[in-house]
Amino acid sequence: MTDAARNLRISVLEMAYHGGDANLQSVFSSIEILRVLYDRVLKISPGAVDSPERDYFVLSKGQSTMGLLALLAEKGYFPGDELRTACQYNSRISMQADRTKIPGVEISAGSLGHGFPIAAGIAYAGKIKGRSGQVYVLAGDGEMNEGTMWEAALFAAGEKLDNLTLIVDDNASLREMLDIGKLDEKLEKFGFSTVCVDGHDEEELSRAIKRVHIGKPGAVIARTRRGWGSHILLEDRSWFHRAPNQKELVRLIEDVKSFGMGG
Amino acid sequence: MKKSVSRMITDYKDTVFFLIDIGAYAFRDFLGEYPGRVKNIGIFEPGTIGIAAGVALAGMIPTVYGISPFIVQRSLEQLKLDFIYQGVGGNFITTGAAYDFSTLGYSHYCAEDVATLKTLPGMEILVPGTQGQFEALFGACARDGRASYFRMTDHCNKTEVDVEFGKASVLKRGRKATVITFAEMLDAVVGACSDLDVTVLYYTTAEPFDYGTLRDNLVGDRVFVCEPFYEGTFYQDVLKAVSGYAVRIAGVGVPREVLRTYGTKKDKDLNLGLMAEGIRARILEFIS
Repeated sequence: MTDAARNLRISVLEMAYHGGDANLQSVFSSIEILRVLYDRVLKISPGAVDSPERDYFVLSKGQSTMGLLALLAEKGYFPGDELRTACQYNSRISMQADRTKIPGVEISAGSLGHGFPIAAGIAYAGKIKGRSGQVYVLAGDGEMNEGTMWEAALFAAGEKLDNLTLIVDDNASLREMLDIGKLDEKLEKFGFSTVCVDGHDEEELSRAIKRVHIGKPGAVIARTRRGWGSHILLEDRSWFHRAPNQKELVRLIEDVKSFGMGG
Repeated sequence: MKKSVSRMITDYKDTVFFLIDIGAYAFRDFLGEYPGRVKNIGIFEPGTIGIAAGVALAGMIPTVYGISPFIVQRSLEQLKLDFIYQGVGGNFITTGAAYDFSTLGYSHYCAEDVATLKTLPGMEILVPGTQGQFEALFGACARDGRASYFRMTDHCNKTEVDVEFGKASVLKRGRKATVITFAEMLDAVVGACSDLDVTVLYYTTAEPFDYGTLRDNLVGDRVFVCEPFYEGTFYQDVLKAVSGYAVRIAGVGVPREVLRTYGTKKDKDLNLGLMAEGIRARILEFIS
């Protein structure tokens, strides 16, 4: 785990503590994906959030919102102090983001199955306008049960939207519910150029996300684990939806600091 | 409908028009001439509305044309979250009205489209009764940055009235009651009221509702509502408009039941008491 990924996890833990609510396991599985996108891939900046030539990042999997917000604060899209106001009545910060309140958030997520069709529409308009930007969308594997995801997949492939890249945070949620088989094979058959990677390896992720795919939309299946980056979150399923108290926060931060350090 | 939509496509390069596999013949020349911007997208309404929202988020203006229940009901969450929550504009033109597809059964009927969309804050709902009224309302709303729903019908009124977005038209003044009506029901209401001493207001903007014109044209203590939608769709709005006054409200509309009949639209109107004679009898009973 990189120091930057470790620090982002710690920011999320603090947000969760202040906000009193979180989907920590789900946020933690996508931390490396978010890091790679914002550190190495996306052509966007806080000063040009409305530039038509920007890359778009659409978070379809709304459960990872706290990770995105902590990262946007770190990158200067809004003051980092605001993270401590998470989930308060008049805050701009919460477990799911409202695009009308936060600069740099492209869509208001929350209901699964919406972000990918929206991203396909953004990419479609990009083609009409001849824009240079790429559209990246992060979905969860559980979200791939939604019919609209496959409607969007058919459309994106049919329209040859090679300016669209779907990244699936495949944290094995589907194994516990309607298991639709191998996502890479399915998406490949739907007309995507697909690759599978270790979703906690930033080098692998970066290569896969930057891969050029001409005439086809791209898909990166990122194999991840819920709660990765903390032994406690990996092992204790009660963290699927809850926030730490002060004592737990201290333990979790220590756990994240020592994760993968041989201790 | 074709006239204003054609003009939009020709005049504005930032527009995208998706057909949900209807109207492809009428727009065949445009499909060829504007590939990408005019597209028969296929039959997947929720995905289509989501894609249209993406088009809007990318700074273009999407217009989607389909059959009312499949846009309004199958894709209601997409209208709510992908347009209203994101705060982007787009146009949804539907055909079918309450039961224009009178031989296809309940799957194609949608007497509840207006009531359903009234639950979405900020959704503009336009219910023109003629092609000319569609042109006027589309012209006013298509590029206003809001989500706008245009309910079209194959059974336009013969009575032509100039309409203005957001304003009801006063067609007649009387003393016994205020009769309000909407969309394609105007002809029947005009026929019903021709020799009655009532005021008639005609609404083609269903949302935002024009409370002022109703309040200013209250006569006596009676309001009679004639709706080509589920009966009572606008009772809440009437109550809000007359707030502070003791007013009796009654009306005619499509009954809230599963319609299992076929026949023509006229057969249905006749049997449901929604033609001039049936409406007239109900108004006479109400004002006597």
